[in-house]
Amino acid sequence: MRQARSWVLRLGELFRKERREKDLAAEIESHLQMHIEDNLRTGMSPEIARREALTKLGGIEQTKENYRDRRGLPQLETILQDLRYAGRMLGKSPGFTTAAVLTLALGIGANTAIFSVVNGVMLKPLPYRQPERLVSLFLHGRETDRGVMGAADFMALDERQGAFEHVAAISPSTIGLTLTGLGSPQMIPGTSVTSDFFSVLGVQPVLGRAFRPQEGKPGGSLSVVVSHHFWEQFLRADPAAVGSSIKLDGKSYSVIGVLPLDFHFGPHNELWPILQLQPAKQRPPYWLLTVGRLKPGISETQAAADASLIAKQVHQQFPLSDDSSIIVVPLKDLMVGDTGEALLILLAAVGFVLLIAVVNVANLHLSRSGSRIHEFAIRSALGAGRRRLICQLLTESLVLAVLGGLLGLALAYGGVRTILALSQDVLPRMEEITVDGRVLSFTATIAIVTGIVFGLVPAVRFSGLPAGRSLKERSRTAASGRSASRLHGALVVAEFSLALVVLTGAGLLIRTLSQLQSVNPGFNSSHVVTALLTLPRERYANAPQVTSFYQQLLGRVKNSPGVEAASITMSLPPNLLELTNPFHAEGKPDTPGQPAPAIGEIPVGTDYFATLGIPLFRGRLFSDQDRSPATHVLVINENMARQYFPDQDPLGTRVQTGEYNPKGEWYTIVGVVGNVKYQGLGEKDQPTMYVPYFDSGWCPWFVREMYVVVRSASAPEKVVSVLQSAALSLDNQLAIAHVRTMDQLLYESVAGSRFRAVLFGVFAALALVLAMIGIYGVMAYSVSQRTHEIGIRIALGAHRTNILQTILREGASLALLGVAIGFVVALALSRTLAGLLFGVQATDAMTLALVAALLLGVALAACYLPARRATRVDPMVALRYE
Amino acid sequence: MGERADVWQGTLALMVLKTLQALGPLHGYGIARRIEQTSGDLLAVNYGTLYPALLKLEQEGYISSEWGTSDNNRKAKYYKLTRAGRKQLDKEAREWEQTTEILARFLAPGKESA
Repeated sequence: MRQARSWVLRLGELFRKERREKDLAAEIESHLQMHIEDNLRTGMSPEIARREALTKLGGIEQTKENYRDRRGLPQLETILQDLRYAGRMLGKSPGFTTAAVLTLALGIGANTAIFSVVNGVMLKPLPYRQPERLVSLFLHGRETDRGVMGAADFMALDERQGAFEHVAAISPSTIGLTLTGLGSPQMIPGTSVTSDFFSVLGVQPVLGRAFRPQEGKPGGSLSVVVSHHFWEQFLRADPAAVGSSIKLDGKSYSVIGVLPLDFHFGPHNELWPILQLQPAKQRPPYWLLTVGRLKPGISETQAAADASLIAKQVHQQFPLSDDSSIIVVPLKDLMVGDTGEALLILLAAVGFVLLIAVVNVANLHLSRSGSRIHEFAIRSALGAGRRRLICQLLTESLVLAVLGGLLGLALAYGGVRTILALSQDVLPRMEEITVDGRVLSFTATIAIVTGIVFGLVPAVRFSGLPAGRSLKERSRTAASGRSASRLHGALVVAEFSLALVVLTGAGLLIRTLSQLQSVNPGFNSSHVVTALLTLPRERYANAPQVTSFYQQLLGRVKNSPGVEAASITMSLPPNLLELTNPFHAEGKPDTPGQPAPAIGEIPVGTDYFATLGIPLFRGRLFSDQDRSPATHVLVINENMARQYFPDQDPLGTRVQTGEYNPKGEWYTIVGVVGNVKYQGLGEKDQPTMYVPYFDSGWCPWFVREMYVVVRSASAPEKVVSVLQSAALSLDNQLAIAHVRTMDQLLYESVAGSRFRAVLFGVFAALALVLAMIGIYGVMAYSVSQRTHEIGIRIALGAHRTNILQTILREGASLALLGVAIGFVVALALSRTLAGLLFGVQATDAMTLALVAALLLGVALAACYLPARRATRVDPMVALRYE
Repeated sequence: MGERADVWQGTLALMVLKTLQALGPLHGYGIARRIEQTSGDLLAVNYGTLYPALLKLEQEGYISSEWGTSDNNRKAKYYKLTRAGRKQLDKEAREWEQTTEILARFLAPGKESA
């Protein structure tokens, strides 16, 4: 307490030194006068009286000095003095200061930006109440590791579980709901959830209320909770809108609540309609994502054991189904998904860039303190201790680091924004990626640590030199001593090995991207526009209604000017496969103990293959003759033919296709077409089956949500408006959504790889530039220090090309050594990249060779300038120089 | 005997507090003289060391200072005890007595041989 009080007072003394100095002087003076008067009274002569008083006091200046030490905070004053001095020194060499601050700012800025992303995606707790208790539940069994649930599983859990405060199911509709009655029909992204969803998250609407239990029961009134944004855009931000009705997918929902502005769950959702589950007659289909809030004190393992018992009961109820247990994973893991690994690799790469920056600044610092060696010698001769000198140098580097950190922070703000723009649909939890307190303390930490690291190198080196020697030898020769140049060289080597590692990573990821982009998707993507169309169940209840709509729509679109072909499909290449189905070929017994192979099955229109330019290899395509309800035909792809019918002609073979075929109809294979990618460009070719959308086993149940594909030479906007007006003229309640050109879809499908390649590329460029500056700086410095030696050599008859070669060889050998060490490190580390690569090995020789050649070329270019300067040394001037 | 003992810091503070309690408000020179006299000239007070000690006591809030006028009409800075200082003096004096008592027992002749 007393201690603290006196510290505060002492800190205060920093700001009123002058007055307190006068005060002290007056006090000492009055002390002396009183003492002298007393001494005079005892009969001393004035002279002796004064001397005696001074002796007794112990000297005026010493007393004042002791007093000052106690009065303020001498350590702090020293620091302030160091800071002022550092500021002056840095101001005096603006070139050095700018180079160092910029280098650090780039390193720190890049790290801060990537850390902001890591922080937002991986470190921050989820933005809900007590997020550590939020989990998601999955079926875990023979057929699936982490499977979603069916209604039977969820309803049993909801009814019987004891480990959770609440559980809720989410229907992960990828598409959304058609909003009508508020302007033209529109597709609004939304997700149906059961009544306890908001209780699980612990989120309260800002207006209105969340769902009531009875609203979740079949037959309960239909209600919807809307996002703040939806409320503003479509309900005029009117508080009275709560309680009103809106039309979604043709049904009337009452708006019961508006969510907080910052609420988000998954990517852009505007509507949260109630999900009313019917009691299940069978266990499949599995389509519900289940989330829950653990009761306090219940562990995930306990909850999983409890839930697994319930799953067992469900299995007993439906003995044909898989005997699955239930696993419980933190909700955060589900949301972060597999982006974590890539982010950590990026963070490591950017950490390497920072290391290079630090090495660079250490080098600069070292060169500069080399030329200041005389100054240090004088200061140490005047009594400055080793500690004191180290402190001084450290203060200077910390000032640089803090300046670099501040500028880096500004760069990071811009960097985060760029990353967000680049990472559309690549990163989860994007709303939470900001520069927050944790990011700021991260930046502060790396700035200070880097400051200490690059400050210590020269500090330790120079404070240890014996003052007398440096004073005698004068600065230049002392600094260019053998150990100094060895240190410089080691730093350059380190830089080049780090740069090689980052460049290798970038090279591999860039090659991955280019390999992906050169994959043949199996169709002709140019001039194709796609859009999603959803037919509401109410008005399109039976097959004739659905087929006649599509026939009329495609008829109108095809007849529009410029349109070459148009069709529909449930799944879109390159990565929107909606459904897989187990199949069984006639006359081929299933492998016992193994489930029938599930492969992609796609309902398509007759002209689908023509529209996308998918080649027919054998047999025929679908035609209108296949429309008879008794006809069941399939077209398969080449891969399926090769994989499942290797030694027979698949044409005419009959197959049964699984779960969605309760009557056990046989489908005849009539054609074989080329392979098309439906699961990403990076996937191997998969077997695929096509079925006509009007097949009686599929229509109308599975074909109400279809993508329209249109091939046309006209501009995409024109095609879209043709499509839109054709749809609206048939049904003015329809909205088209997800409008893209095929080329866009291809581009977007490699967004993740592009994101990683671009960021890694930027970091590699930074690393390369920094390494180049580093080697240039060191070689230029070395040449300037050796002017004398070079002059002598030239005077003794050395050829100028010899000089040039010597210097270049010196630089190249440093770079080579760095590259060699980097090779080893890169080989060891590139394995961690393997999961992110496509079409290129983690140890790809070509990439490594290219990267090494690039680095060596850069090193030679950077050394050329100083080397040429060395050849221009005039021996007379050089010799006189000393 | 002959040599005069140096004063160490903690003790000096206690002496200052006691002096101010005994004599009331006093300037630095007066305090120094008083300590020297009371010790019967056994202590060599380097007057200079007194001032940082006074400052420390003041920063800790045990004494306060004020410019005033001396008997000889000279301006001088006067120190006086605060309430906290009085309490601190009681506390330190008690502790000091205990310490000396304990040491005295240790040093009492003949006891440990018994």
